[in-house]
Amino acid sequence: MSLDTRGERLERRPGPPRDTPGIRASTVTRRRLVGVTLVLAPAIWAFARALGSGTDVVNANGIPVLGRLLAAAGDPAHSVAFLEVVARAAGVTVVYAVLGTAAALVIGALGAVILSDVAWRDEPAPAVRAGRLVLRALLVAARSIHEVIWALLFLSVLGLDPLVAVLAIAVPFGAQTAKVYADILDAAPRQALSAMRARGAHSVPALAYGLLPPTAPLLLSYAFYRFECSLRSAVVLGVVGIGGLGAEIVVSLSSRNWDEVWTLIGAVVLLSAVVDLWSSSVRTDLAVASCSDWSAGSVAATSRTRSVRARWSAGTAVAAVVVAWFASGVSWSGLVAPRTRMLTARLIDEMVPPALPSGGWPELGGAVLDTLSMAVLAMVLAVGLSVLLGPAATRVRPVRFLADPPLRWWTPRTAVRPVARVLLLLLRSVPPTVWAAIALLVLFPGILPGAVALGLYTGGILGRLVAEAWENIDLRPRDALRAAGVPAVAASLAAVLPPSSHHLVTYTLYRFEICVRDTAVVGVVGAAGLGSLFAENLDLFRFPVVTTLLLASLAVTVASEVAGRWVRKAFTA
Amino acid sequence: MTSGDPVLRLCGVEQRFGLRTALSGIDLTVHPGERVALLGASGAGKSTLLSVLGGSLPPTGGTVEILGMPLAGLRAAGLRAAQRRIGTVGQRLDLVEQVRVLHNVNVGRLGRWNTARALTALALSRTDPTVEAALEAVGLGWAVHERTERLSGGERQRVAIARLLVQEPDLVLADEPVSSLDPSRAAEVLDLLRTATPDGTLVVSLHQPDLARRHCTRVVGLRGGRVVLDLPVAEVDDRHLADLYTAA
Repeated sequence: MSLDTRGERLERRPGPPRDTPGIRASTVTRRRLVGVTLVLAPAIWAFARALGSGTDVVNANGIPVLGRLLAAAGDPAHSVAFLEVVARAAGVTVVYAVLGTAAALVIGALGAVILSDVAWRDEPAPAVRAGRLVLRALLVAARSIHEVIWALLFLSVLGLDPLVAVLAIAVPFGAQTAKVYADILDAAPRQALSAMRARGAHSVPALAYGLLPPTAPLLLSYAFYRFECSLRSAVVLGVVGIGGLGAEIVVSLSSRNWDEVWTLIGAVVLLSAVVDLWSSSVRTDLAVASCSDWSAGSVAATSRTRSVRARWSAGTAVAAVVVAWFASGVSWSGLVAPRTRMLTARLIDEMVPPALPSGGWPELGGAVLDTLSMAVLAMVLAVGLSVLLGPAATRVRPVRFLADPPLRWWTPRTAVRPVARVLLLLLRSVPPTVWAAIALLVLFPGILPGAVALGLYTGGILGRLVAEAWENIDLRPRDALRAAGVPAVAASLAAVLPPSSHHLVTYTLYRFEICVRDTAVVGVVGAAGLGSLFAENLDLFRFPVVTTLLLASLAVTVASEVAGRWVRKAFTA
Repeated sequence: MTSGDPVLRLCGVEQRFGLRTALSGIDLTVHPGERVALLGASGAGKSTLLSVLGGSLPPTGGTVEILGMPLAGLRAAGLRAAQRRIGTVGQRLDLVEQVRVLHNVNVGRLGRWNTARALTALALSRTDPTVEAALEAVGLGWAVHERTERLSGGERQRVAIARLLVQEPDLVLADEPVSSLDPSRAAEVLDLLRTATPDGTLVVSLHQPDLARRHCTRVVGLRGGRVVLDLPVAEVDDRHLADLYTAA
């Protein structure tokens, strides 16, 4: 049928009346232009800042050292004595992660009940409202400071105590969990709960019967996702000297025992792989939310009844907390000891009033710009890695409705997929501190080694997030095009590329916010930015400057979150 | 409250939502043992009236006395104490899908249980004679440990009635409880609702006048938010009903 013969049917008809005017094409173009400029301009600026200072970037002397490091990969250390060290260190890391997660969940659950509207019958009293505002601000501050920075602060009060690692994980992750849990509770359907209240049920039982069961799968699923993150953090925290695999890696790196470094990296990758697999199996079993949903803060996923596997996992997790508690010898008494109180009081006393670093505003401003350019460059590298490895890491899904789908056991993709996934796992399991230490072998300290380290690490995470999101894209539009005779490439371009790029943009912006926060870690080991200034001043006990740097980090993190939200909006227009 | 006192007394009740008036000048007294059918076209104000009667919607005008207690003077705890004596059933069953039938039935007793008892019951999943008797009464004795989401629509409705039975209310308010049921199932449900209170006091909104004739003692007709008919069931004839369902 030609278009002419259908002319009558294609006649322009007015749509139903609308309250608001539709979005105009010019608005879409303008918003997109703004969005693209907001992405490209910082990238160009960051490159100019990292490379344009006129000094050497590559340390030629380090290249043979890197060669030796890579050569040692073929022969990792495997003496029984060293393997025992590795096993013990792995145990310490797991214990920190388990206890840190448990404490974070307790903080998160309590915070969520206070922050959620549903617990207050959607009409909190004015006093509660005011208290919640304060709590919200505290939680934003708590989660915008990196675990490593928390660890350094706790270290100066508690000394070398395992409690430092547990608290350094628990405080920022607890704050994050409170926010997510509050969103989950508020997003749950509440008819059953309202009906219970209308029958005169007390507050706590009503919540336990009416709100907990529908939200439990989501809460549990998020707890496992948090554990994955905690494990990575527990490794990173090794850099401040509180033990575990991270600390062993730092020791082996600084004594240049490359064969040991590889064994330790192997242990970290193995541990991450096991936890990732366990966690994602629980999540897929509950079918509640993908890792990517969580990391982007989406809680709109459907929830299903608790599964057997999830039950066993929850039981195992509770047992693990008990075992970890007794194995670690962590004691809360350190928190309330007179010495701790005295040192805390002194620390707070010394931290106020804040003061500028020795270089004044220019030094502070320079550090802020270094931090931002490091994060931007890291994201450029991470996006490059994701675009390269992400598609290879996604499952191949054959076209449905296609007559005679070719059934082959082996395609190049089936072989490439595990390789890409292992590469992504390697990138994200090796802590950014270790990537930084390796980058610092061949690059002079500055923005670039930090950006490379963070970029590799973030690339591993981002690549996995987008691969997971891409695997869940609805392929029916593509299949429909294929069934209508459209060639494969054109069908994919029309039906798969738009949602895929949307996922990539969303997660990239989201990870950028985290990346800004993560610059603190690589800063601590000698790259540039606020982190390195922080470590330097903490070493010299210049606490008033430390306060200023904490406030500056908070401001940068919050600003990047706000900017990220704007750009995301511009892109989705 | 003595046995002869009204369970519900409404004087000049008015309910506005912004500019819209949903109820106006409602005077209504319900005595123990009365089974009142609320009839009227859709939008006549039946559901609003039931929400006011249940204490979950404070009226914008007039006074409401529930079980001898004036609603306006009640604080949160007092209102809760009154509400736990009122059983409500609606088209929406408000069951918690993810838990076992036992817990959904126990929800009926949450108003009487203290927090510790409620949480223990949820954690231990132990059944007791009250729950078993209620489920037996609705023909679901076998389902006590079933997951609620696995039950059929009819079975779920009976779980909601078992929940009402364990609540042991003094008054049942039902908002179109049988509108989606076949005639025999509807009759069965209305019989069960009568047995939920000691003296069978029931206020039920219905769309089927025949059911009202068979199961109720009194008919209250609403039109445009006003009571336009209030007669013993025997005196209601087809002319009354035709008036009720013609546009105001």
